[in-house]
Amino acid sequence: FFTERVFGRSCPEGLRYVSPCRYVLYVSGDFVKVYSVNTEEILRLLGGHADLVTGIQLNPQNHMQLYSCSLDGTIKLWDFMDGIPIKTFTVGTKLLALYTLASAEDSVFVVIPKKGERDTFQLVSVELTKGIGQDLEGKELSVVLDDVGASMKHIAFGREGTYVVSVKDVNLQVYFFKRKLLNRFSLSTVKTKGDNRFSCVVCHPKEDCIATGHADGKIRLWRNFHHKKEYTYSTLHWHHDIVMDLAFSVEGTRLLSGGVESVLVQWHNESSCQKDFLPRLGSPIEYISMSSDGVLCCTLHTDNRLSIINSNLRFSRSIQGLIKSRDVKTGLVVDPRTKALVLNGEPGHLQFYSLQSDQQLFSLDIVQRQYIHQAGLKQSDLVKVAFSARGTWLATVEESEEVTDPELQLKLWLYNEEIQSFELNTRINTPHDNHITDLCFRDMDELGEDSLILVTTGRDCVFKVWVMVEDTDPEGNWSCDFVGSYHNYQATNCCFSEDGSLLAISFEETVTVWDSLTWDLKCTFCHPPGNIRNICFGRLTCSKYLIGATDYGFLCCWNLLTCALEWSAHLNVVVLQPDPLSEHIAAVSWLSKESSLFVFKPSEPRPVYIQRNLCKEKIRLAAFVPRDEPENTEKYLWLRKSQLFFLTDTQELMTLSTKSLEERLTPSSKQLAVEESLPVTPFSLLLGKHRHQQAQEDTDLGKLVVHNKQEQASPAVKELLHTPAHVLPSASFLCTIFINSLLISKENKSAEEVADEVEMESEKAEDDSDEEDVTAMEQEDTSHMELLGEMTCKLSKSQEKELQKIRKMDYSWLSAL
Amino acid sequence: MGCEPTGSHTELPSPGRVLCLSWHPSGTHIVAGSIDFFRVIDVASGQTVQRIMVNHHVEKAKRECVVWAIALLSSGTVVSADSFGRVQFWDWELGTLAESHTVSTSAALSLAVSEKEDSIIVGTSTGATYQLQLLPVNLGGQEKRWVRTKPFQFHSHDVRAVAHSPTALISGGLDAQLVIRPLMEKMQKKGYDAVLRKFTFPHRRLVSCARKARLLLFQFSQYLELWRLGSTEETGKDGEVLSLCRMPEHLVQLKSKGPEHIYCSCVSPCGTWIGYSTASRFHLYRVRCDGDGVSLRKVPKVPKLLPPAYQLQFSANSDSLFVASARGSVHVFQLLEPGGCKHLHTLQPPSGCSEAVYLLAPSADGHWLAAVSGDWAIHIYNLKCFKHHCMVPAYNCAVSALAIHPSTNNLVIAYSDQQLLEFSIPEKQYTSWSRAVQSRGLHRAWLERDSPITHITFNPKNPAHILLHDTYLLCVLDKSLPLPDDSTLLMNQSTLKQLPETARKRQLHAFKICKKFQPLLFMDLLDENCLVVVERPIMDFKTQLPLPVQQKKFGT
Repeated sequence: FFTERVFGRSCPEGLRYVSPCRYVLYVSGDFVKVYSVNTEEILRLLGGHADLVTGIQLNPQNHMQLYSCSLDGTIKLWDFMDGIPIKTFTVGTKLLALYTLASAEDSVFVVIPKKGERDTFQLVSVELTKGIGQDLEGKELSVVLDDVGASMKHIAFGREGTYVVSVKDVNLQVYFFKRKLLNRFSLSTVKTKGDNRFSCVVCHPKEDCIATGHADGKIRLWRNFHHKKEYTYSTLHWHHDIVMDLAFSVEGTRLLSGGVESVLVQWHNESSCQKDFLPRLGSPIEYISMSSDGVLCCTLHTDNRLSIINSNLRFSRSIQGLIKSRDVKTGLVVDPRTKALVLNGEPGHLQFYSLQSDQQLFSLDIVQRQYIHQAGLKQSDLVKVAFSARGTWLATVEESEEVTDPELQLKLWLYNEEIQSFELNTRINTPHDNHITDLCFRDMDELGEDSLILVTTGRDCVFKVWVMVEDTDPEGNWSCDFVGSYHNYQATNCCFSEDGSLLAISFEETVTVWDSLTWDLKCTFCHPPGNIRNICFGRLTCSKYLIGATDYGFLCCWNLLTCALEWSAHLNVVVLQPDPLSEHIAAVSWLSKESSLFVFKPSEPRPVYIQRNLCKEKIRLAAFVPRDEPENTEKYLWLRKSQLFFLTDTQELMTLSTKSLEERLTPSSKQLAVEESLPVTPFSLLLGKHRHQQAQEDTDLGKLVVHNKQEQASPAVKELLHTPAHVLPSASFLCTIFINSLLISKENKSAEEVADEVEMESEKAEDDSDEEDVTAMEQEDTSHMELLGEMTCKLSKSQEKELQKIRKMDYSWLSAL
Repeated sequence: MGCEPTGSHTELPSPGRVLCLSWHPSGTHIVAGSIDFFRVIDVASGQTVQRIMVNHHVEKAKRECVVWAIALLSSGTVVSADSFGRVQFWDWELGTLAESHTVSTSAALSLAVSEKEDSIIVGTSTGATYQLQLLPVNLGGQEKRWVRTKPFQFHSHDVRAVAHSPTALISGGLDAQLVIRPLMEKMQKKGYDAVLRKFTFPHRRLVSCARKARLLLFQFSQYLELWRLGSTEETGKDGEVLSLCRMPEHLVQLKSKGPEHIYCSCVSPCGTWIGYSTASRFHLYRVRCDGDGVSLRKVPKVPKLLPPAYQLQFSANSDSLFVASARGSVHVFQLLEPGGCKHLHTLQPPSGCSEAVYLLAPSADGHWLAAVSGDWAIHIYNLKCFKHHCMVPAYNCAVSALAIHPSTNNLVIAYSDQQLLEFSIPEKQYTSWSRAVQSRGLHRAWLERDSPITHITFNPKNPAHILLHDTYLLCVLDKSLPLPDDSTLLMNQSTLKQLPETARKRQLHAFKICKKFQPLLFMDLLDENCLVVVERPIMDFKTQLPLPVQQKKFGT
């Protein structure tokens, strides 16, 4: 069972461009994503690191290869076009940043923590041994610079790799490789008004000029820095706050800078008078990267979005996955219509994020006010959101950040089929006198339109029921129908039972249950001490139960028929999430710095599933997202209909999946597969037919080649057609494979059943034939890599393979003749 | 060779007018900047050999481009600073533009090149100055390029003049400030030179005092003002403000004709003569006070002097006028009643001198005259026989003030490095007190002061007292008291006040310093009981400055 980061932290050391401007490589958590610039789609997901990837650099010798380094202490060399890891170099210590140099062929530079000292880092060069095989040691460490910053932005290599610059706090050090000269410069901290610490450094590609960004928004251009005394710098100042990143154009005539202003500034010829701006990029710029041919530039924003910008400073397109907002106040909500995950996006916006395509479907502007990036400014933000059951109505609550006067607004949006978007229907100013704590819809299909009601609970100790009224006044057609309260306690949570007849509202320590027709208080529950943190009703067979979690560390299940406590458990539940399609309820607890997951049915006090130490970070939110097709897992029934997603404190979205990472990776790489776009020719039809073939894995072969799981006929043909000629074995060797592939194999008739059986039997679960094609293709590539090393040995194995193929071949068609 | 962007930069001069000039270091060519173009003139033939349009490449330039400053480098590169805020580098022989740097959005007004021609300072109308440096494109490489490096914002108004010394950038602006910004990379050690200096007032006497007539003459750039001092009959304690029985009175304002600034001025001790000089002419006026009314009459047939005076000084008995002039000469005029003057004699150093005299000090008995010339040599003349008497031993520093003691005829000299020397004129040697001071050395705090002593006077009641002042302090130097050493406090007046009588005596030292009056322009002793002090509040003239160039400032 695997926990995996679906979408990691935006950053860390993201973003490299590849010539000829076709791909953007972008680090996301443990993965490197390869996006196509033209289609904005993710092409490859390079996974294999066991911890966060901290740096990526293109191989200067081969621009189709990529080095990546990770906190797990390894450097991997990838063929990112095909998503194949070529080599893995184990260094052994945490790697925090990675640099490559065209002049240093067999070595890369990495930043590692200094031994024996906390929070000090050093830049070392690592000799990459040219050994045979995939896993190699990269142990030859030689220290280049001491006491460097841990971020990748704090080190830069100068023109043709003649020197290296490192900045940290107010100190800049330059090391000249040839002369072995180290110069240190520091800025004075006394006289300056602002904070003039260094924030980033880049080097001019053609001249000896260093550009540094500073926390007070200045950019300094250093020259003559080989003199200890007669160095000089000029200053460019436009940013009012920290300069987050800088990038020189290919010729060095232009310098790009970005910061919290969300404006990309282009400086010409290092002159402070000639500058161009690209404003309104949406959110603070964190990284800037220039494509190697200088045609495009790419900015990574703090909200996890990539903007691609033309060389004439025109916004071209943006690639956005899950937008990282400052704070997810809305919770994780699933849009019933699109099955998209809905949460805070850009400030004041609601994002609809498709989990399947890892893309933002759209962003709905709720607050409809210009957001100003300035510290300390109180601005309105979206805090609560709820969908009606069929997704036709959307209720949003926005409030300003001011504590005393929240300036609440409740907005109701109706989905318009024509424009395929939500339209504002009703705006209610100050629906409550204090912060709204929760809201939910009752929307029963059986009861028709009249059943649609909205309940809001507020810290002003009341809950309000809102209904639609027929007479349409300009302000909209929702109005307050009922106001209820309970002993002047603050209302904290509300939820409807599955049939909509009961409404449960928690008032501090007490849960109250109300009849939703007459608004009579039916019964109350409480489990002192401690306030109620979460409540929810059971579903389907368990609809007679009400579950509540208290902040005193108890999970209680009450029976609504007997009005008695059914069971309770001592558990510090932070998230309580019922699955809308089954009886299961997921509870995430937080105890002693680890989150644990418990899945249970209300009817049984014993959990169905327990996963201790789900992750080290605190899980803040969770959501069950219905699957398009029920998944075929015997083991985890509760995951059949929906998938569980979590959002951690650092806004990492995680999920539980039954498949291993490798298996999950294959479908994503499928998108690149060429056969999708093959023209319809008799040959392609032939291939298409063969695609459904399922060949059995040759177990003997599997042992020989580590990843070579399957070998089958039709991929062989495809490979014959798509592999470059110079890496193909001789034609005589391939001939038999090709002939074999054209034969109708025995398994053809019952391909799917066989596949299922195989999946049951084998530990390495097999995939559909489509996916397999690609895996096979990739594997073949790696085997070619190895082939270079062990030609003779490999050939014999292949021949062996051939023999086995022939032996297994179905000769039944001969008898038919 | 003068070039002056007179008037505000918004008023454009007529086209074709030469606004700036620069010589080639070899003296073969001159460049002359005008509006929209500059010319290169061959000195030998006097012909224009090149004429370059500076905004040729600007399409449809609506505004005129004024070349405010220009420099011709020895390599043949012409550097121009223009009203578009550009500093451009031209190859004048080919007539091509080599580099263009837009340093400012407002006009670039002034330009100075370092001696090595590897650094340029540019002054702009926003008050900012910029340094451009000739730096190698690649470390160790031969190719060099001009790069705008450091910006400095020391002025609030136009920077009209800049200079580039080997170790400092000097700029003067319309905001009446002179700023010396040392180049730290050229400094060998930290010290006096390695500190930014700002000067608001010139280190010259701008006020002269007629002691007997109790008149003050103020010198402004275009006019003079004559004031009669108020007086009081009361007495009081320290710190009290006495009520006046006669209010100070503005007697007359004398406007100079023409655009020229007044260079120096003086009022005679009796208060009946006023002399002033501009860059081209010297004027002498006779003042007559008839009761309340004051009349001024120009003295006719004043001998024409070329060049005019650098300093004017009336003798103590107001019967002659000393005019400091070029080549170390001092003209002596005899003043004749009722209003006339006659050239008596011209004093000149025996060995000759190329520099002009800039400071004069006559003795009270009318016997001696000390004159300081630009080469810092101090010559003493005997006025009875109009002969050169002697020369004060040379000291490697500029003289900032000097005066002759009325009773002992000792010449007290203040140097710009804050040294004080006393030279006995009759004995032609330094006095013993001066030698003692030299051997012992002055207090460190005194030597590290910023502004030089601008005026020296004496207390007739106590011959041991020397009164000195600079812009920030007034000092009574009591020769009878011991000199302070570095361990004691130099400015100890406030601590002395709190001490008992006996302890106070032990703590006393020669320097009695008062910092009450700032900025102090002038101080003189009228009589035994009366000291006149002239303060000029900075806000007085800051408010009179024209509006600075409008700039948008972020966050305001």
